[in-house]
Amino acid sequence: MADENNLEELRELVDFLKANGIAEFEMDRGKWKVRIKFEGAAAPAAAGGLTPAQLAILMGGGGAAFPSPFAGTTPAATAAPAAASAGAAAPPEEDLHEVKSPIVGTFYESPSPGAPPFVKVGDTVEAGDTLCIVEAMKLMNEIESDVAGEIVKRIASSGQPVEYGQPLFLIRAREERRKSN
Amino acid sequence: MFRKVLIANRGEIALRVISACREMGIRTVAVYSEADRNSLHVKFADEAICIGPPRSAESYLNVPAVISAAELADAEAIHPGYGLLSENANFAEVCRASNIKFIGPPPEVTRLMGEKSTARQTMKKAKVPILPGSDGIIESEAAALDWAKQVGYPVILKAVAGGGGRGMRICRNAEELPGLYQQASSEAAGAFGNGDLYMEKFIERPRHIEFQVLADEHGNVLSLGERECSIQRRHQKLIEEAPSLVVSSKLRAELGATIQKCLKDVGYWNAGTIEFLMDEDGKIYFIEMNTRIQVEHCVTEMVTGIDLVKAQLRIAAGEKLTDIITRPVTISGHAIECRINAEHPEKFTPSAGKITAFNLPGGNGVRVDTAQYAEGVVPPYYDSLIAKLICHGKDREEAMDKTQRALSQFIVQGIHTSIPLHQRIFADEEFRSGKIDTKFMERFAEREAARKAAEAGTLPTLTSPGISS
Repeated sequence: MADENNLEELRELVDFLKANGIAEFEMDRGKWKVRIKFEGAAAPAAAGGLTPAQLAILMGGGGAAFPSPFAGTTPAATAAPAAASAGAAAPPEEDLHEVKSPIVGTFYESPSPGAPPFVKVGDTVEAGDTLCIVEAMKLMNEIESDVAGEIVKRIASSGQPVEYGQPLFLIRAREERRKSN
Repeated sequence: MFRKVLIANRGEIALRVISACREMGIRTVAVYSEADRNSLHVKFADEAICIGPPRSAESYLNVPAVISAAELADAEAIHPGYGLLSENANFAEVCRASNIKFIGPPPEVTRLMGEKSTARQTMKKAKVPILPGSDGIIESEAAALDWAKQVGYPVILKAVAGGGGRGMRICRNAEELPGLYQQASSEAAGAFGNGDLYMEKFIERPRHIEFQVLADEHGNVLSLGERECSIQRRHQKLIEEAPSLVVSSKLRAELGATIQKCLKDVGYWNAGTIEFLMDEDGKIYFIEMNTRIQVEHCVTEMVTGIDLVKAQLRIAAGEKLTDIITRPVTISGHAIECRINAEHPEKFTPSAGKITAFNLPGGNGVRVDTAQYAEGVVPPYYDSLIAKLICHGKDREEAMDKTQRALSQFIVQGIHTSIPLHQRIFADEEFRSGKIDTKFMERFAEREAARKAAEAGTLPTLTSPGISS
């Protein structure tokens, strides 16, 4: 009798496992202790090894692995690794245009210390308007906007080192014809 | 010792320098173009700064961008690698003005030794034999005959205003000289509007021999022996070795001493290479100096046991040569380097793209310097060198055997490489005999063409099934 019950239980268990795609199942009973492995899990990598997909991410797109002095400006922005911008950062919502630094240097929002910033969030700018300064080798380079529109966000902060291609501002471009990021 | 060094280069040499710094406890800053974002030199440096778009001119050659990056990262010194800005005296000056130590000679010395005519004069004064050339224009056929008689045939007539092989004639005896003089002159007049000619000694089958030097900033210079780089195609080195089979210890010692004295007088600092041509009679002539570390520095490292890049860093930090090289330099065994390029092994067309399989050979006396990896991308913007295979054995035979074995295990798929070309060269009798010169690749190409024609156009099977052709 007990055997038949056990067999019935076992059959139900097997059906359950199959239905849920479980490839391996261990159980201890007293105070539980279960171990479940689903079908289709990647072949066990060598100890400490990576699957090809994981390695590709490490070497390829994901990019947040690079140590860099140019990490995000504020703690809230660390999710968008500045060192791996150009697509790897979270894409700006509503198709906002990123103004990127064309040179390596130090970002300043004002023409001189204490002076009001060139632009503030909410300002409207035309293409060619000066947005900020990036200082390199003691030269103050005025960085101009490449689109017309409204300043939505200042990404870099004054005194921050920036690299080539690093996002400085987000602009809601005015025309339909947007520059691609 | 420097706390932090910026490496103003890319690819395998950037990784080489970063590795040496890492071993010495020096923090490293890599600079990279957007095309190199996922490069190994970027991944393995402590810090990395993007300095521009893919084109070299806008990134790696962009002096303000490189200097700005060094200032931002607070790097004390810049190692320029080879190529790019390494022999740019202006860059070295900007470094000096920005209070950043340039790891190399002073700008004035780079200018002096980097410029062919001033370098020749400097060597001539130091009694280093230089390739005889007329000091000015050869005004007439009579003057040409005179000069050729003094120097000895063969000679070459060259257009003063010229280049690209035009207005040039090789002359092997006095009978043909007047006629060739006329031809060269008219061709030059037609091509460049100026028929003036000068003359140089011509060597039919020269061997390219170069000497490695290290100099500290206290006036001490040391020669580390020679390399032979005769296997070249269109003036691009393909295979280099140390020592040269045709340099006796006597020549090595004598020439080494002369070079040391000359560079000491000139005030040379850091690493450098002096290039010579050797003629069929074993006479050698200075051609030019490279005021930087070279691609093939590895073969010298293998036979001398001296880490040249670490020496460069220590010299630039002010150390004395006697503290860096504490024993007499000895040449031990034989080393050969193969440049693995991302190009078709027969057509030599560049092969950029994604590497889908990558296996490096290893083992006793086998060294691979590379910054590529599986799934890595070879960008089209830069030179095609992707790896260097260096094998060291007790003699040339063993070094060649190791190289053949290593090449058979060197798998690169997804792009074309020169690996199959090297395999054929190492199977070639003339190469194996060591009786080589800079015309070797031309003769080899002819032999290959003849062999293929004999096999009715089918490609030979390669030794390893893993290599795609």
